[in-house]
Amino acid sequence: MRPLVRLQGISKFYPRVHRPGERLRAFAALMAGREPQDGVEVLHDISLEVSAGQSFGIIGENGAGKSTLLKVLTGVITPSKGSVEVNARVAALLELSAGFQPEFSGIDNIKMKASLLGMSSKQLDRRMDDILSFADIGEYVYEPVKHYSSGMVVRLGFAVVAASDPELLITDEVLAVGDEFFQKKCIRWIESFLEQGNTLLMVSHSMYLVQKLCTKALWVHQGRARELGDVFPVTQAYLAYHEEKNALEKQQRHAHDGGSGLYCVRKFTFLGHSGNEDPVIRHGEDLEAELILSSPDGRPPVALFGVMRADGTPVYGVASDFDGITPERIDDRLFRFRIRFKSLQLLAGSYSIRGHAMDPEGMRLCDSSEHRFTVSGQSREMGFIHLPHQWNGGD
Amino acid sequence: MKLLSNNFFHQLVSRAIRTDYLENLTGFAWLILQPLMLLAVYAFVFTTIFKARIPDASGVSFVPYLAVAFWPWTAFSESILRSANAISANAALIGKVAFPGELLPLSTVTATFVMHMAGYLAVLLVLQLMGTDIHWLGLLGAIPVLLFMFIFASGLALLTSALQVFVRDVAQILPPLMTFWFFTTPILYSSSMLGDQWASLIKLNPMTWYVERLRDFLLLGNYHWSVSDLLVPSFSILVLWASLVFFRRCSGHFEDFL
Repeated sequence: MRPLVRLQGISKFYPRVHRPGERLRAFAALMAGREPQDGVEVLHDISLEVSAGQSFGIIGENGAGKSTLLKVLTGVITPSKGSVEVNARVAALLELSAGFQPEFSGIDNIKMKASLLGMSSKQLDRRMDDILSFADIGEYVYEPVKHYSSGMVVRLGFAVVAASDPELLITDEVLAVGDEFFQKKCIRWIESFLEQGNTLLMVSHSMYLVQKLCTKALWVHQGRARELGDVFPVTQAYLAYHEEKNALEKQQRHAHDGGSGLYCVRKFTFLGHSGNEDPVIRHGEDLEAELILSSPDGRPPVALFGVMRADGTPVYGVASDFDGITPERIDDRLFRFRIRFKSLQLLAGSYSIRGHAMDPEGMRLCDSSEHRFTVSGQSREMGFIHLPHQWNGGD
Repeated sequence: MKLLSNNFFHQLVSRAIRTDYLENLTGFAWLILQPLMLLAVYAFVFTTIFKARIPDASGVSFVPYLAVAFWPWTAFSESILRSANAISANAALIGKVAFPGELLPLSTVTATFVMHMAGYLAVLLVLQLMGTDIHWLGLLGAIPVLLFMFIFASGLALLTSALQVFVRDVAQILPPLMTFWFFTTPILYSSSMLGDQWASLIKLNPMTWYVERLRDFLLLGNYHWSVSDLLVPSFSILVLWASLVFFRRCSGHFEDFL
């Protein structure tokens, strides 16, 4: 396949230009072809290749450099290092209202925007009806754009872009504007656009949308390409990162998990998964864990297992005394508990499991230990647990 | 030149003409009135107060002498002053859409010239009706001269608009600079009124050649061409070319500075 887009070792460095002196220095450096002295590096060594027919999602936190990357792609800014190669008729939806003149009517702005996208006036005449019906803003097209609602501006912008018949569509977080009906219309349009063998590059914070529309994804983190590959592993890694970040914040907020009580966790391990790395379990596999508790008075303690999402949302918890389990006694003071979650129904994502030591009465929690694990899978189901179900009716 | 056939360029020019001149009813009237009023003031000051006379042009009175040079100068200076802000004023567009940025100053210059040339034609007609002998055949020579003036203005507009992005002071420096240029160009006077020393100095100003050739063609009926007449047109083309190179070198970095 012919690569439509090839980025090689892209870095972008913004010089500091707040004070006149800084502007002059940066300008002088620019003229001399030197690197500016000080500034901010927004992108660092990003390489990306997109073939015709692919759909690429670009994800990442706010300020990670996603939009800058798109600007480099569309040629709005020149990268400080690296090369950009784009061999396609591009329509960019970085900001739908860009190029709109508020004083002018919708029709005039359609003409302006269409010419900006490289349409000749003849082509525009032929497509004008399509644009008007797609935008669906009725008589408002004869009004100045300054009287439009933001949703109407977006509709007008998208309608022109849709009519410009691009091969490569580059969009920023723009579909978030507009009402539900229009969003769906846009998504349907993008889907049919992709079915015709066209290429999409989109930035979105909606993993749902990225998974729905894209086959590949790039995770940009602090200006660097953190992960690049098929959409599911990349988005899952990104979500896991977020869940962990949330959990960390939560932990810091109430860091009062005291715990060297009488009954202690001596050892807490996964069975069948050695090594230091957090285990990866496929959706539907078994998960088996072992917990060894010590008891100072030799009475068998109660073990409590809890499974939660990485952000701390509890999923399931069970204690050994609920099920009337007596542990295996290793010696006077040590007891071993083993638990197996058969064909784990958790959906793909990052989770953690905690093993707690409780007193023999199962009343007081004395000690805890936690492990993370990842569930992998390619399902588009939502939530975090698979509920067995069947569809009725129809054929 | 492929740039100028671009549909986007046409849209920009018509937008500029409409917002700057035709949007309000008085806009078009002002286009004629403003230089007309200035012309009247200058005519009063110079003919009534200073009793200025044009020594070399027998039979040509001061008002047409001034008007023929004054209108093109207005187009020239206004197009540069207007386009100096062309890039900064469109920062939102530059940062969001990729397009050849030189179209912004060029469209401003084009719109300004188109409008003022319409005014110029009207003024020439009025002068003829008031009894001045306009050499209409001289238009054949005047049109290329005006075209080169347009090229010169385009070059300077590209230069100042790009520079303005990096050095904000340009917009402040430019108006007094243009006033200075106005008085050092023989618009209110004739270079023959100066001593030899000053006359040769003022010949270094490319605008001197422009206004004097326009007077030659339209007022004096002097259609004579010489090789030295190629100097300023070539210089104007050189300015446009160099400014375009400079502009393109900068344009990828506009976004960093806006």
